[in-house]
Amino acid sequence: MDKVIQPISKAKRDRRSKLTSFLFVLPYLIMFLAFLFFPLIYGIYISLNDYNLLAQDHPFIGLDNYARIFNPDSAMFTLFFDGLWNTIKFVVFSVPLLVIIGLALALLLNSLPGKIRGLFRTIYFIPYAISVSVISILFLWILDTNSGLLNNFLMNLGFDPVPWLTRQPFAWISLVGATVWWTLGFNMIIFINALNEVPEDMYEASAIDGATAWQKFIHITLPSIRPIMLFVVITSTIASFNVYGQPYLMTRGGPGDSTEVLLMGIVDLAFEQRELGIASAMALLMSLIMIAVSIVQFKISNRNQEGGKTR
Amino acid sequence: MKQTGKKTVLVILAAILALLFLIPLAWMISTSFKNDFEAIAGGLNWIPEDFTFENYTYTLLGEGVDVPIFKWMFNSLFAGIAGTTIIVAIDAMAAYGLARLDVPLKKYLFPLFISTLMIPFVITFLPMYMQFSNLGLLNTYAVLIFPYTANAFGVFLLYQFFRSFPKELEEAAHLDGANKWQIFIRVVVPSARPILWTLAIFSFMQIYNDFLWPLVATNTPEMRTITTGIAIMQQGSFVSSYGKLMALTTIATVPILIVFLIGQKQLIKGITQTGIK
Repeated sequence: MDKVIQPISKAKRDRRSKLTSFLFVLPYLIMFLAFLFFPLIYGIYISLNDYNLLAQDHPFIGLDNYARIFNPDSAMFTLFFDGLWNTIKFVVFSVPLLVIIGLALALLLNSLPGKIRGLFRTIYFIPYAISVSVISILFLWILDTNSGLLNNFLMNLGFDPVPWLTRQPFAWISLVGATVWWTLGFNMIIFINALNEVPEDMYEASAIDGATAWQKFIHITLPSIRPIMLFVVITSTIASFNVYGQPYLMTRGGPGDSTEVLLMGIVDLAFEQRELGIASAMALLMSLIMIAVSIVQFKISNRNQEGGKTR
Repeated sequence: MKQTGKKTVLVILAAILALLFLIPLAWMISTSFKNDFEAIAGGLNWIPEDFTFENYTYTLLGEGVDVPIFKWMFNSLFAGIAGTTIIVAIDAMAAYGLARLDVPLKKYLFPLFISTLMIPFVITFLPMYMQFSNLGLLNTYAVLIFPYTANAFGVFLLYQFFRSFPKELEEAAHLDGANKWQIFIRVVVPSARPILWTLAIFSFMQIYNDFLWPLVATNTPEMRTITTGIAIMQQGSFVSSYGKLMALTTIATVPILIVFLIGQKQLIKGITQTGIK
């Protein structure tokens, strides 16, 4: 009797156990499905419709929205590719600075006496805690042509006031400068940790060989922190691709349309012109570009690393 | 001798850089105590000639009727605290389940969650707007809280922690007759407290500081968050009242700066743990 019942109740217990375990995952799974998975699918669907928010009907039009974006005669073509070009400019200007200065700050901090290291680390890291709207409004004020702190300082030194936000290339310099000031601390923190992970005996061995500080940096530090460097490059690239608040508040896309980044164009199309369908198509394309860029950066870095190993 | 000289140069360099980071913030506070006339006149006076609290009294004491700053602050703090609480609770449960329990299909669920870390926010914000709009939930706390809870970052962060959590503690509790839920609450959560704080600080900062999503998902003055509210003021009636704008930005920055300074250690730990694979 016992022998017959035992396997059944064990299977039952097993199922009950699995059910209880599943309940641990269930709340997150619900949020995940509702606010990530579903929007993802829904977004693809919307991008296949002529979805004007003010219209009654939203007819299915297949890939027409995408066709319009890639048709050089369409206004959507200009909106998408001009915006993308401006975004790419911002990425290209900001990412190298964010990575190189971030690493430089980490190296500087690591060479400071231990007692004051923590203080300076906190100071460099503070802007990261502040929201993009505060940062943008603050820099709008500091860079004001007539009353701003920076131009008043320059005028005291005998220079002419600079139109920081209304002329190029100053508008890009201002946007990139404010962004670097704002998010540098994040990269610095990652680099500090990476530098501390480099085995001390590698430096000691090279010191015996009589290597200079620069040689140590090139031959030991850089190769050791390479994976972290890749991580910082990719996260900075994604963050810069998503730029919105700074040009939205500081330059309003100007002068002309020169700092009108893609995300501004998409938001404007969706919420001013109410063209949600084609805006969704653009958002999807932008995401695909971002994912592709990350993969390419990853591949390039991996190939270089393997090349280095075989040599 | 040469070594100390080099150190001194580095310390001076670090101090100059520190000034570059602190000057904008100091100027923000300085301007917030100037009247609009003195602010717009320019100059480099760090101590206001006509030191005034009027920017703060105007925005805080209800003289500026179009500035519901307490409501904005409440919205941001409420959404931040509620969202953070939900995130920490559901992420801890999910991460523990996936790392240690016999969750069905966990081989597929974990990679599915983690792969979404690659997905940029732009891909979901328009359909999410439509989703809330269809349900009539724009301008509610739901839009300011729930979208953040789907982020897989916390599950990823905590999963790594629970993976390396010593099995002995769980087994001891199991022998004492505790069930999974009791083991989780009494044994696992208390020992995971530091990493849970890390996730909490991250999540709170993300929600409090977020800009684009609350900007599009709310459009009534009462449902703005503090970060979007000040942006609206900058484009509206405060457009060149830099004294008042700087008072607003200072007020907006104080709470998050307190959280940052208290939670800095946890924050740094979180950044470095996710940076290293």
